[in-house]
Formats: sequence, C-alpha cells, structure tokens
Amino acid sequence: MELNELKSGWQNAGGNYRTEADLERMTKLNQHPTLKRIRIKMIIETVVLSFFLIVYYDWFDGDQKPLYANLLLFAGVLLYIFNDVIGYISLAKPVMKENLRSSVQHLLSKVKRLSILSLVISFFYSVCLLAFFLSVVTFTKEKSFILLGMILVLVQVTHISYKVWRNWILKLELQVNDFAKED
Amino acid sequence: MEQAFLIDIQNNQNIIYKVCNLYRDSREDQEDLFQEIVYQLWKSYPGFKGESKLSTWMYRIALNTAIAAYRKPKIDITYPEELPDQVHYSADTNSSENEERLFSALRILTDAEKAVISLYLEDFSYQEIAAITGLTESNVGVRLNRIKTKLKERLN
Repeated sequence: MELNELKSGWQNAGGNYRTEADLERMTKLNQHPTLKRIRIKMIIETVVLSFFLIVYYDWFDGDQKPLYANLLLFAGVLLYIFNDVIGYISLAKPVMKENLRSSVQHLLSKVKRLSILSLVISFFYSVCLLAFFLSVVTFTKEKSFILLGMILVLVQVTHISYKVWRNWILKLELQVNDFAKED
Repeated sequence: MEQAFLIDIQNNQNIIYKVCNLYRDSREDQEDLFQEIVYQLWKSYPGFKGESKLSTWMYRIALNTAIAAYRKPKIDITYPEELPDQVHYSADTNSSENEERLFSALRILTDAEKAVISLYLEDFSYQEIAAITGLTESNVGVRLNRIKTKLKERLN
C-alpha cells in the first residue's frame, strides 16, 4: 500500500451530507454536547443548593446551631456553586493559542489550576456540611465511630475525584511531551 | 455573516468529518466532536480575516478542538498488532469500508502525529504544518518520515 493511495483516500473522505440547517443548529450554545451536560448538572446543583440555603434554617434548626456553623454552611454552599460556574466558564472557553503546541501547554496549566480549586472547594464544602450538622451533637463512642466513617467516606470521595483529575492531567502531560519531542 | 459562515462550513465540512474520524473512535463521540468544532468555528469566525486559507483556519480550529476538548472517560481500547485487512482503494470495495480502514490505520498514531499526517495528507507545505502545530519545519520532516515508516509497517 502506497502513501499516495492513503493521500487520495484522505482527500476523498467525507461528503457534504450536513445541511445548512444542521450546521446552523450546531452554532448555538445550547446544542454544544459537552457544555449541555455540564450546564444541566450546574443548574440542578445550583437550584437544589439555593433551595437548601433558603429552607435549612427552619428545616434543620439553624437557629439552634452556633453562628460559626451557619456561616460555614453558607460559605461552603456558595463556594461550591462558584466552583460549578467557574468550571463551566472555563470549559466553555477552550484554549485557542497560536498553534497546537501552545494550546496544549496552556490547557495543561488551566486544568491543573482548575483541579486544585475544585478539589479544595469540594473538600471544604463537605467539611462545612459536617461541621454544621455536628456542631451541637454530644459525642458518644457510637457517634464518634459514625463520624469516623463519614470522614473516611469523604476522604475516599475526594481521592476518587483526585484520580479523575489526575488521569486528565496525565493525558495532557503526554500530549505536551509528544509535541515537545525534538528531532 | 452567519450565511457566509454556513456556506463556507458546508462546502468544507469534510475537513471536520476527517478530524472527527481521526481523533474519536465511536460514532457518538465523533458526532459530539463535530458539533463542538462547528461551535468553535462559529465563535472564531469574526476573527477570520482571510489572511490564511479557509482550510488552514478550519484545520487549526478543528485540530485544536479535537486535541484540547474535554473527553468523557472511556474504556481503553487496545489496537491489534495487525489490521484485519490490508488497505486498498479499489473500485469493487465499498467507499465507507475503505474510509474506516483508512481511519483505523491512522488512529494508531499519537495526537501530535495525527495532526501532522492529516495536514500532510491534505497537501499542506512543511511551513504551513509547522505554523499550525508549533513544531519546527525540520521536526515536521523528521516526524513525517517516522509516521510514514510506522504506517507502512502497519499497512503492509
């Protein structure tokens, strides 16, 4: 098999099978496949968490909890929503530098920053929730074990999240090294 | 502007098709990437002043999106050492089968190699390939030789 055949195969591949209407639909943000999924997740989380902030004081006895627990809960929830929004905006604006090599390098830096922000905020959010609900609990031996179990679950969830980010970063590092290979 | 954009993209949509088939394995992922590329082209269109060829601009955005876009985690696919059939472009073979064999062969390459070979196969000069990828012209030459050797080993 000759490379010329490969070239002619490449140049003849594909066809004009998308109509103008199809293409026009694809120019709309609400049709973007990845962003659509992320946006739905962000909207659901924002609505649920906002609702929680509105009702928690009555439903979960906010008035009987210390001020620091209420403040932590607010800060944790707001930061979590902020993290969702930042993640969405960052992914909606892909890195477009002057060439592919620069783009991949910049994307790697961006994903590293996002991963740190996301992991720290998610962990802080979980700790705030725990702090709120445990702030007036009188600890017994059993309750201490339950708390220990919850902390272990929290660490495990954070670790899984870390691994997902790490896999993406490792993949990008491979791409950066691939582009950086010299003669 | 939108009408001009749509006509340009419709007339050159095979570029997007090829990049999608080169960088994604499944039909669903290819479809998602196609939409993402069209969206990114539309967002970048106001900045396209015609200083470069339309195909150069489209390849730059399409390859960038294919490489940099977030990919859903997937099960690792391992490619067999040998392709099931040799790639021949004959009249009695279905063209979509030929295309699939072509893309299967090219998918063994790394992302950077895919970018280089796709531009080469589209008849871009070394200088143009270097400008789009960020590699030096000499590096493009060396890589192309390696890619050709790799593909020959795979296809023959």
